[in-house]
Amino acid sequence: MGDTLPRDAGIFAAACLCGVASGLFGIGGGTLLVPFLALFFAFGQHRAQGTSLIALIPPTGALAFYAYARAGYVSWQVGLLLIPGVFVGGILGGWLAKRLQPRRMRQVFAVLMFALGTWQAVAAWTH
Amino acid sequence: MTLIVLLLGLAVGVLVGLLGIGGGVVLVPALVYLLHMDQHLAQGTSLFILLPPVGLGALREYWKQGQVDLRAGILCAVGMLAGGYLGGMIAVPVASRHLKGLFGCFLILAAFLLWRKPQAENRLAAPAGGEPADG
Repeated sequence: MGDTLPRDAGIFAAACLCGVASGLFGIGGGTLLVPFLALFFAFGQHRAQGTSLIALIPPTGALAFYAYARAGYVSWQVGLLLIPGVFVGGILGGWLAKRLQPRRMRQVFAVLMFALGTWQAVAAWTH
Repeated sequence: MTLIVLLLGLAVGVLVGLLGIGGGVVLVPALVYLLHMDQHLAQGTSLFILLPPVGLGALREYWKQGQVDLRAGILCAVGMLAGGYLGGMIAVPVASRHLKGLFGCFLILAAFLLWRKPQAENRLAAPAGGEPADG
């Protein structure tokens, strides 16, 4: 018990920070939570991913969603139409991942994300 | 329009399952650039789509392998719930162009994290998830 409390407090604080990013950017939160657990709390990659998955089972974005919904920033129609596709696509992607080389594709996609992010930040702040 | 949105969802889902990346990281730019949504609207809609527990199938595999820290998971869930509300309250009054710029910076960070993401072992490449998603 002696040293679990500081660790618990640290994990809770890190999760709060991931939550802020989740609400600020409209994302799930695992993108940051997994590396946080792995880097700062000595979780193995699998344990970090498994723990992130269980943390995301309750609708942890519910309060962030409420803040957006109250301000009218939710397109219900598009959202409802996207859900079945994302679900089916996820299964399809998982099936493909076992037959292709996700590592190489991840790197290609990381470069695309980097370019898109740079372009978006520059476009937003330079006129 | 309806068909485009359905296909867009499918494409996003394939990327999430294939690459093990978070849904929102793909969804938000897709909604902004392909459906021409405002940044706030895209982020709110993304949060709506991420409400159902999409990782349940993948979680089952991790649980069977004993790769879940339940205590840490509960702490994370509570922390993220609280932090999420704070993040939402910060985002709503921010001007759309600033939010767009900030999201761009976040995408750069996410790109670095994706680049160095370790390869998942096959035995844990979940049935429904393939490459485990980060949310």
